[in-house]
Amino acid sequence: MRLTRRDRLFLFAPLALLLAGWLVLPALLGLLATFTTYSPFAIGVHFSGLANYAAVIRDPLFGSAARNVAVFTLVAVPLELVIGFSVAYLLRRPFHGRAALRVLLLLPWLVSPIASGVMWHFLFGSATGVVDFVLGWLGRPDLPSPLGDPRLALPAVIAVEVWRVAPFVTFLLLPSLASIPSERWEEATLSGASWTGRVRHVAIPAVRPLLLTITMLLTGLSLGTFDAVLILTGGGPGTATVTPALYSYNRAFGVNDWPVGATSGWLIAAAVLGAGLIYLRLSRTRFVE
Amino acid sequence: MRLRGVLVAATLLAFLLPLLWTALASLGVLPDNSSRPPSWRGSASLDHFAEVGIAEPAFWNELVTSVLMSACAAAIAVGAGFLAAYGLARAPFRSSRFVTQGFLVLASLPAMAYVIPLSDLMRRVHLLDSFAAVVLSEAAATAPLAVFVLHGAVAQLAPEWEEAAVLDGAGLFRVIGRVILPLVAPSVVATALVLFVLDWNMLLVPLVLTSGEIKTIPLGLSDFFTFERELDWPTAAAALIVSLAPVAALVGLFHRVLGRFSLDLATPA
Repeated sequence: MRLTRRDRLFLFAPLALLLAGWLVLPALLGLLATFTTYSPFAIGVHFSGLANYAAVIRDPLFGSAARNVAVFTLVAVPLELVIGFSVAYLLRRPFHGRAALRVLLLLPWLVSPIASGVMWHFLFGSATGVVDFVLGWLGRPDLPSPLGDPRLALPAVIAVEVWRVAPFVTFLLLPSLASIPSERWEEATLSGASWTGRVRHVAIPAVRPLLLTITMLLTGLSLGTFDAVLILTGGGPGTATVTPALYSYNRAFGVNDWPVGATSGWLIAAAVLGAGLIYLRLSRTRFVE
Repeated sequence: MRLRGVLVAATLLAFLLPLLWTALASLGVLPDNSSRPPSWRGSASLDHFAEVGIAEPAFWNELVTSVLMSACAAAIAVGAGFLAAYGLARAPFRSSRFVTQGFLVLASLPAMAYVIPLSDLMRRVHLLDSFAAVVLSEAAATAPLAVFVLHGAVAQLAPEWEEAAVLDGAGLFRVIGRVILPLVAPSVVATALVLFVLDWNMLLVPLVLTSGEIKTIPLGLSDFFTFERELDWPTAAAALIVSLAPVAALVGLFHRVLGRFSLDLATPA
């Protein structure tokens, strides 16, 4: 229908108000503050140029955090996509009990990062854990929890997050994979395509835009990793699993270094918005095709 | 065919074993990893669920707070998101899809990017420690995702539906209430459910906007842990199971509708 000015006001005003007040305005005020000495309880505020940015970038702790989150994103996102896609591919055709299976397989995503941190803390533990139980059955000695090992802590945190997020990827991909007409699979099979051929030439093309969208969401989620490490490792041992979000939080609320916290928070925003530009570029080319 | 059955069973085991382990622990059935081969000890009881309320007296209050907050935040985000999604889908400008993609980028923005100034802003307008501030902040964080999903749902509707109603003299309210909403209701419900889960599990927003007056489940679970004593595993497990139960029940009840939560914009009508 043709919308009048009043109609448009009615449609867009609630969202505009919500986003302006509780997202955009704080974000922009925060950006402004990063170029000053502003902090909530500071007396005099003056312009400080890029001093806050220099302080963040020179801090070796932030360096570790940036490196950790880069590894986290580059490993976790592809794993979540591949595992989530594989499970959805496995379930693409209807069979008895599939609906129940879909619900059961979504369960890990329903566990909050905090709850999953509490849970895996115990599951990795020796006395209570599932890992050592299985190892014991295999006749292997117990392993100390990987969360205490500087080299294994980050992989362990990534594994836990993949366990939690891959089911959500399956949930998002399954309806699209299931709706591919069966003739397409049959054609591919008749023309002699192996299963890898069917994945590459039938399944992936059908969900490519969706995969792009999911990748964007997962990238943002990974770059902001906070609660997934808060309980599980608290950033340790040492600096092995510290992330920029954890760093920002501790700066702003832990040691009262508000400007540095707000600045490193904005660096996370910059990274996600950078990824967003690539996403917009890629999704635009798709529409032109 | 048989291979697929084995693979499905293996996947199910890998994803659900940790939760099964937790469920058993919450009933007091614990592994004994020191014996060879490992065995089980303890007999099932519901005592540990009662202990949750003793270890964290506010736990049941937190459960109620979480339900109310997540429900309000999801309702506000879906309401505002739906209206805007409809406006975008029927906007005269051709780049409305591009704008919608922009909302997806916004949906990907981690809360950490702006919660530090947000908590300062809320303090200045005296909304810190208020139910409203947490609800509105959670709604703002999740509304962009609702816009993206619901835009996809509305864009698939043929405009003829509305045109017929407009010819009958219907205004915007009637078109939305009588024509559009009934057609996209499953997508709206699915979006509200997913947003409810996101709000339910959100830590950072309530963490920086409250100072102990109002607590949600993730906050309760986190300081259950951080300061105090190392918590007993069966009690922690019981708390985890209780915190998972409401969302699991919702997803189980509405699993048919949930399939309509689609991020796919590929097939417009």
